[in-house]
Amino acid sequence: MRHALRIALMTIRLVMRTRIALFFTFLFPVIFLFVYAGLFAHGNPEAVVYMFGPVVTLNIMGSGFWGLGMQSVMQRERGSLRRYRLAPLGPGTMVLSNLLANYLLGLPTIALLVFCAMVFFHMPLKIGLVTLLILVTVGTFGFAGFGLTIASVANTMQEAQIYNNVVWLTLLFLSGVTVPLPLLPHWVQRLAAFLPATYLVSTFQAIMVQGQPLIDHWAEMMVLVVSGIFGLLFAWKLFRWEKEEKISARAKWLSLTFIIPFLITGTWMNARGNLTSSWATSYSLMGRGNSEGAEAADANLIENFQSPGAAEDSLKRWQVSTDAESGGHSMAEISLLPPGGTGTRQALRFKGHLTPAAGTGEGFALARLEVKVPTQSKDLHGIELNLRGDGRAYQVKFHPAGPAGSFQPAASFVPLSDWQSVRLLVGWLANPPAGASASDPWVLEIGALGPPGDFQLDIDGIKFY
Amino acid sequence: MSTDADNSALVRVENLHKRYGQVEALRGITFDIGKGEVFGLLGPNGAGKTTTIEILEGLRQPDEGQVTVCGLDPNREQAALKQRIGAQLQATVLPDKIRVEEALGLFASFYERTASIEMLLDRFGLAEKRRALYEHLSGGQKQRLALALALVNDPELVLLDEPTVGLDAMLRRDIYALIEQFRSDGRTVLLTTHYIEEAERLCDRVAIIDRGRLIALGTPRELIERSGKGTRLEVRVSKPVPIEHLSKLEAVLDCHEADGTYFLHAQPPARAIAALVHLLEAEGSALLDLHIAQPSLEDVFVEVTGRRLEE
Repeated sequence: MRHALRIALMTIRLVMRTRIALFFTFLFPVIFLFVYAGLFAHGNPEAVVYMFGPVVTLNIMGSGFWGLGMQSVMQRERGSLRRYRLAPLGPGTMVLSNLLANYLLGLPTIALLVFCAMVFFHMPLKIGLVTLLILVTVGTFGFAGFGLTIASVANTMQEAQIYNNVVWLTLLFLSGVTVPLPLLPHWVQRLAAFLPATYLVSTFQAIMVQGQPLIDHWAEMMVLVVSGIFGLLFAWKLFRWEKEEKISARAKWLSLTFIIPFLITGTWMNARGNLTSSWATSYSLMGRGNSEGAEAADANLIENFQSPGAAEDSLKRWQVSTDAESGGHSMAEISLLPPGGTGTRQALRFKGHLTPAAGTGEGFALARLEVKVPTQSKDLHGIELNLRGDGRAYQVKFHPAGPAGSFQPAASFVPLSDWQSVRLLVGWLANPPAGASASDPWVLEIGALGPPGDFQLDIDGIKFY
Repeated sequence: MSTDADNSALVRVENLHKRYGQVEALRGITFDIGKGEVFGLLGPNGAGKTTTIEILEGLRQPDEGQVTVCGLDPNREQAALKQRIGAQLQATVLPDKIRVEEALGLFASFYERTASIEMLLDRFGLAEKRRALYEHLSGGQKQRLALALALVNDPELVLLDEPTVGLDAMLRRDIYALIEQFRSDGRTVLLTTHYIEEAERLCDRVAIIDRGRLIALGTPRELIERSGKGTRLEVRVSKPVPIEHLSKLEAVLDCHEADGTYFLHAQPPARAIAALVHLLEAEGSALLDLHIAQPSLEDVFVEVTGRRLEE
């Protein structure tokens, strides 16, 4: 350990003397922070909180794959390991020294990222320093496992670059590091559960955005620790001092066992079933300020169509009906529309064509949603819908789901093509009408009314206020 | 092969075999090295010198044979052995940005016993370059640093693999002086080389290897005397003379011609020169140039292999 530390400290000293290494170790991650925080989060401090996890993960991944992994191969290719081989040092010391150097170089980079995020983007640091240190340590160890395993099985730099790129790009785009997971198709989210980068990103976001404790994410941390242990074992067992020493095809195949822990944990995580909803929650809370306020706001939320999973669910929960039941020929459908209103990802589109029955003059199409009234119904003033339309008249109603449906307060409105808010007062929920109770299911009904013709209404969000 | 160094042998090698795929790099090499001896492995490239030295360092495993270094098995007792030996590789590569004194300090820190860094810097002429980065050192300075690194643990046995390869004649002489100091320190040295001058000047005993076989072993003088090649005469003349006439001259052992120069081995040389002068007069030719050289290990090598070392 003493020898490994000495070599690691020397490696750090040498990095400090190499401009290109300094650039990629310190400046490059900061550039990424500015891109994420500036372009993706638009400088919104609360959105930067969401982006901070992906930036840190990107940095940790980069140092694992391109720093530690490639450095190990480069040392061997260059022949600089041979001199160490003559000294009383074993493979374990060399692997450990690389791991230590990578970790010790990573810590100031993370500190620099925290500093820049807080100073330039006023990001509130919603994570304890000890928790941050644990996450960074576990993450660095986990991705060191990848870098070391690839360095162990690659015979040349070119080969290592190919392996690195395949794994790196997969992790980069499918684990929430670059594209938030809730924006990806559901099957990709399922796949993401097999990728360790997902765990680091989602744990950062769950802690920093949702305010969850680290202990709730012990399983994700375990995956990364297991990855690190496997990587160390491979690196130690397959360590080669000389570039002339080639790894056998059998050993390469054997190294595929590296993915077993990810297959097991990915399957288990998918079976647990709460992963995607956690990602969606983090994403939906992005930029909303502290998590307590967000939770309170969330309790009043009826629909925001923000996560694909939630949106699909909500499509199932919405019911569409038309005047076809009473002799008309109107048609209507609902679908998801990306993007939604300002700053949101998607909205619900309710569209169709009104063709009333002969002689009736007006047709109709209705979209209904069963709604649970929040427990603090006495404090509610009404329902607010963020929507846009086509200049046709629409009506919104809110009534009990059961036979007491005769009580139907309604509001009519004519939405134009810009996003706007429409409110329906429901202050009477404090004293519901006879036969109804706030704790019973209620129905929100939105109807297209008027003369024959096409209609289209986009709804971005519905909430109690 | 038994030698007078048997009783205090620091290195024992017996019937060493090593194969790389279809290539048989070592085919039963046997020798030993006594304490305080400077021992040379002389042979052309690919002869098996580096393989031998790497087996002694514990870097490679022999396929067959027995090896003992400092009383230890290089494969089973590697850690203990590395504490006691110092080695210099054929090509030492250090990180570009490491300073000379840092490299010495770092490698010294790996050993239980260490030499003084200041002493090494002075001795290897690196004191002025102590703060220089490795990438800024000249070829000779890099080689001196590599030699200094071999001494950071104050070793009993120093293994040097082609210590002067790629250096010009002046730098080579610098390195010779340093290796001679190793001898005066009382250290045991094993060096591989394909330079005749190096082996003759530095080594107490030389083993000549070719194609994985040890073909001659002894002190340089013994080997030369044993070869019976006689003094070498290099002759240039004004008009070509039939080579068979030269071969038949008195005291000439053999003769060949290359690029207009005749190479004769003669014993005793004085009689051969006198006979040569008479022949040239008779043939209407004249002596333009005559070099007289004592036989060398090169001659020994040519005698036993039929090839020159550089071939």
